[in-house]
Amino acid sequence: MIQVIRNSPRFIMLALLVVLMAVGGGCKSKKKAAEAEAAAEKAKMEQEAAALRKQQEEDRKKREAEEEAAKKAAAADANKKGPQAKLEEYFTSISNSSNEASANSSINEALSLFASSDTPVLIVIHESGGQKDYDKPTTIKNYLYYLKDQKKQADKIGNLQFDNSGKITEVELVKQN
Amino acid sequence: MLNYKFLSALSVGLCVVSLSMAQNPEISPARKQAIDSLALEKVRDLSKYISIIGNKKTPFSEATRVMDRAEELFAPDSEMGVSSLNRKEINYYKVRKYFERLMALNYDKVTISWYDIHYISDLERQPDGRYVGVVTIYQRFEGTSDDGLKYKDTTKKDITIYVEKKKTQIQGRTIEFWDVMLGDIRVSETSA
Repeated sequence: MIQVIRNSPRFIMLALLVVLMAVGGGCKSKKKAAEAEAAAEKAKMEQEAAALRKQQEEDRKKREAEEEAAKKAAAADANKKGPQAKLEEYFTSISNSSNEASANSSINEALSLFASSDTPVLIVIHESGGQKDYDKPTTIKNYLYYLKDQKKQADKIGNLQFDNSGKITEVELVKQN
Repeated sequence: MLNYKFLSALSVGLCVVSLSMAQNPEISPARKQAIDSLALEKVRDLSKYISIIGNKKTPFSEATRVMDRAEELFAPDSEMGVSSLNRKEINYYKVRKYFERLMALNYDKVTISWYDIHYISDLERQPDGRYVGVVTIYQRFEGTSDDGLKYKDTTKKDITIYVEKKKTQIQGRTIEFWDVMLGDIRVSETSA
């Protein structure tokens, strides 16, 4: 019987066909599964990439906001420090001025930093336990002319107060003993 | 009865002491030192103003401005003593008059310098609350004319210093400050 089957070309062809179909069907399902897996992986990667881009965008915006805030803070700080540094320069320039014209020019330039030439100047002569002792208050104009006349080193700037337009409205100096 | 009288006397006594302490607050040595230094600085400032006013190179407008500032250092009606090797008496002028005379001195070159500035009487608190002291200075004066005439002397002068605590309003705040005022400047010695 077996011999008959073995010798039958039809049977052989049929068996071969069945085997091929079985193998072919298996490959197709594997391919589909692989494709689905790849698609899922791709979708996942795309999602991750989108999330990353979103995160990066948020980080960039946050960084820019921080930089902007820092810039604004620095500008505000410079606005405050700027006049103090300029005022110190004018003090030195007036005290060391070798001629009247130069001293007067520096005085006029320095006065442009102030809300008024009558801006009060308080001079601390001693401080202890939070209590300050002051010299008789003067005005910025008088103080600048005082530096010009006396040609002495200015007292140290302790505090400056400003108005909304950045002009100095009060000066506190600290006498250096 | 005795106890009542004793307690009453003690109460009155304590009130007087506390009132006296309130009116006569002690100031720390560091604070006193700061006030002493402030007063000496005012004297040095006057020295500089006098040299500017006396300097013949100082323009009239500048000298006038400096006179105003110098006058602000003094208590009202203060006087300045002026001596000379050529006369015995000492003349006293109101400070403004003294500055004007100084500016108009008939020399072509005038140099005035003050040195050895020191307290001869420390600032002491007075019953009226002011502090009063005396600072001595030595003034070297040299006046020269173009024709070669020269006058020079050294004068020892005593300056009375008044220091008083005052209050003022600055931008709505009450600020207490030490007001240092120079009083009469008396000549005590004059030498060549």
